[in-house]
Amino acid sequence: MNFSLFCSALVVPCRFSNTLATKLVERHRKSKLASHTREEAETKDTTVLTAPRDYKFVYPEFLPDPTWWKRDRIREKLEREDMMRRRSVIEIPEFYVGTVMAVESSDKYAPGKKNRFVGICIQRGGHGLRAGFTLRNVIDGQGVEVQYDLYNPTIIRLEVLKLEKRLDDELLYLRDAPQEYSTVPFDMEPVVLPPGIAVPINTMKVKLGPRPWHERWERQELKGVEDLGLPERFYKRAAEVAKPWQKHDLMRDYRLAINEDETEEIMTDVYGKMQGIETQQKLRRRQGPGPAK
Amino acid sequence: MAAPMKSVACLIRGTCFLQNAILHDTRFMPRACTHLQITRGRRRTCRPPSWFVRTRTKSHHLNQQELTAENKGFLTEYVEDFYTKKFEETSPLKDGPWERHEWHSHTFRTGVLAVKIGVIPQWDNQGRKFHTTLLQVLDNHVIRYVPPPVFEQSPAFKSHWRNRNGPKYGSVVVGALSCDPQLFTKEYNNLFTEAGVPPKRKLTRFIVTPNAAVQPGTPLFATHFKVGDYVDVQAKTIGHGFQGVVKRWGFKGGPASHGTTKWHRRPGSMGGGREKSGVWKGKKMPGHMGMDWRTLRGLKIWRINTKYNVLYVHGPCIPGPNHCYVRIMDTTLFYRKQAMEDQPPYMPTFFPEDTGDSDLPEEIVDEKLFSFKEPSIRYEEEASTTKKAKR
Amino acid sequence: MLRIPIKVTARKLPHAGGRGSGPQGRINKMRKLVTALIRHERIEGQYQWVDEARGYAERLILEAQRNGDTHKGTMEMADYWLLEKDLVHKLFKVLVPRYTNYPASFTQLWSLGETFPGRPVPMAVLELKGNPWPPVVPKERDQRNSLVNILLDQARKDYRQQKYESIAALELNKQSEQQTSNIDDSSASTS
Repeated sequence: MNFSLFCSALVVPCRFSNTLATKLVERHRKSKLASHTREEAETKDTTVLTAPRDYKFVYPEFLPDPTWWKRDRIREKLEREDMMRRRSVIEIPEFYVGTVMAVESSDKYAPGKKNRFVGICIQRGGHGLRAGFTLRNVIDGQGVEVQYDLYNPTIIRLEVLKLEKRLDDELLYLRDAPQEYSTVPFDMEPVVLPPGIAVPINTMKVKLGPRPWHERWERQELKGVEDLGLPERFYKRAAEVAKPWQKHDLMRDYRLAINEDETEEIMTDVYGKMQGIETQQKLRRRQGPGPAK
Repeated sequence: MAAPMKSVACLIRGTCFLQNAILHDTRFMPRACTHLQITRGRRRTCRPPSWFVRTRTKSHHLNQQELTAENKGFLTEYVEDFYTKKFEETSPLKDGPWERHEWHSHTFRTGVLAVKIGVIPQWDNQGRKFHTTLLQVLDNHVIRYVPPPVFEQSPAFKSHWRNRNGPKYGSVVVGALSCDPQLFTKEYNNLFTEAGVPPKRKLTRFIVTPNAAVQPGTPLFATHFKVGDYVDVQAKTIGHGFQGVVKRWGFKGGPASHGTTKWHRRPGSMGGGREKSGVWKGKKMPGHMGMDWRTLRGLKIWRINTKYNVLYVHGPCIPGPNHCYVRIMDTTLFYRKQAMEDQPPYMPTFFPEDTGDSDLPEEIVDEKLFSFKEPSIRYEEEASTTKKAKR
Repeated sequence: MLRIPIKVTARKLPHAGGRGSGPQGRINKMRKLVTALIRHERIEGQYQWVDEARGYAERLILEAQRNGDTHKGTMEMADYWLLEKDLVHKLFKVLVPRYTNYPASFTQLWSLGETFPGRPVPMAVLELKGNPWPPVVPKERDQRNSLVNILLDQARKDYRQQKYESIAALELNKQSEQQTSNIDDSSASTS
């Protein structure tokens, strides 16, 4: 219901004048004059469990791309269905930036046609089937990063070795930190958290190496980094280019994110389906090693 | 009772039966601007051709602000009832389908008019990633079939569509997105009486051979095509307005600094001297960019969703932004068309009755595409050529 | 979700806070407008300024409604956007109760057009709904007795009656068919 409302709330520039307004497409999909549509009117089931409010942080890739001209209700729905199908086949666990993970994937060119990589997740992004993450580790004294698509069918197993969050949304500054911060042993034993506990937050502060760096870290508000120890002029310049007005810009936030009503709608849908999938997976785990292993 | 009813019928345009009966002969029917104007370059005039039918009324026939809410509701109710019930009786499909012919490699079937709804990645069963564009076939109907001798008289007919036996092709007008007739002029609404469907928001025309003639009023679905078929796709690109040579043609422009004065995005010299002097025709210059018809040929259909009538077509770069109209038709590429003989398409289109009692599955997936229900892809160990092993 | 039409990109409004004030000046101007709107419940200004401010006001009220006054982030936003601090109380204690279970937008924008002769700047009036002021637009004319409406009223009644009659006839037909079939069955069973 909210989607069409959202569409009505758009004033579109003229370079897209050869398009139909999203609102109009929605109206035609539900029109009674359309003779042979098989799309039934969606009845809202009130008995469905509503998702917890922070569920969108657990499975962020289910939220569609908020770019206004990429939105379409049916496409988003079909994409979510594909993701659910994949999730019912392979276990994709909950993870965050800062989590230590192991990924086993098919590789044509690797000996044994298989590859296993262990690393710390430094970045996570993408929407829908494009969702992905980056793992970082140090191998033979050389920093290595591997980008994975979350829904790539060549991934055989995704394993969380140590579930934790860090203070920042991205850990790209580990590239400029000493290697011990991003080194993870390949034979690391999984750390089991007691059930029902909240995901722990690692408050470790990283001491970056000397300049030159990949990015100007002093211009980003990083919480997980120790004092950078730069000369005064760097901070002065950082204060000059800072954009403090963006913090309270309500409309900017609104335009750059999926709004709360739609998030709730999508997450309720996802929550209901994920409950079923998780119970199936638990059953499969009890029965022994599944077909995916 | 009859007098107010008649007044309603007159108020809602396009429901004047008497007039339709008189004008039923196609010679007197105004032709809609239904086809893609194939001209060299872009049509530069704003003046509509003589056979153009004005589609939209400048204002509603009834002053909508004047109507009460109940009466507005009544008008929509009347329109819905009119098209759902009355046209069931008058639909041309009632007389039974036309004769159906076999497909051969010289056949041109009709196409469909879809709406682009987005791009998503898919993987094939070798684990290779590629992008597919989702095209939704929304509420398509055949509006009119024009046989070759009549179509020959049309101003849009091309002389090379004729051979020594006469004209080779007829045309089929396809419409998408049913609308309330109050939006349109009476002339435009009259175009749809033959097909017995509500007036459509968009019309387009496809060239067909007589053996692929489709009866007016026939609905077209996404399953008009089969999974694994190759299609040509036509759409209007995103408009950029009047642009300079750097954006329009990718010229390099000039340097940003080092004493440059007013020479950052200019085209440079245009012509030489001597016998080559002057600016040649076709010189790349600033001008209007985009909002122009483009065709992509030979795109594979990977997957079809029959519930929402969605086609998954290969490639991320189908012209136009999201929610633009896209014309989809069988490919004209020679080898692709020859290959279609192994798997001939539905002639003249897909009829749901043909499947019998069994409904089509909701998802039809190409055998080379990875279906997300399958387990993960694994490569075989010893073979030099990799193969997928299902476990 | 906002209930008003918004532009897909924000207006930059480079001169909103005076020439050269930049995006910070724009936000400051918006804060002033939002504060004034909450204070007076009806303001007049340049169309593009008040239209832009409308979004911020709507969003602020929506957040206040959704999260309540115990939410830290919302209170911070209210503190930032309302320059006069007594209005924070008004936001949570007056406006939020006023708009509970309110299906439509909280504000209304009226275009005033340009004044001539004068500065060719389109002006507008922005107001909170349910304000105590007299309405901007005088009461609309009652159109119920216009000729078109009277004709359509009669046509509607006739059409509905015709519809009900046809439905009733169908029902009758069905019932009679059932009765005949029942009689047939019973006769067959007795025989």
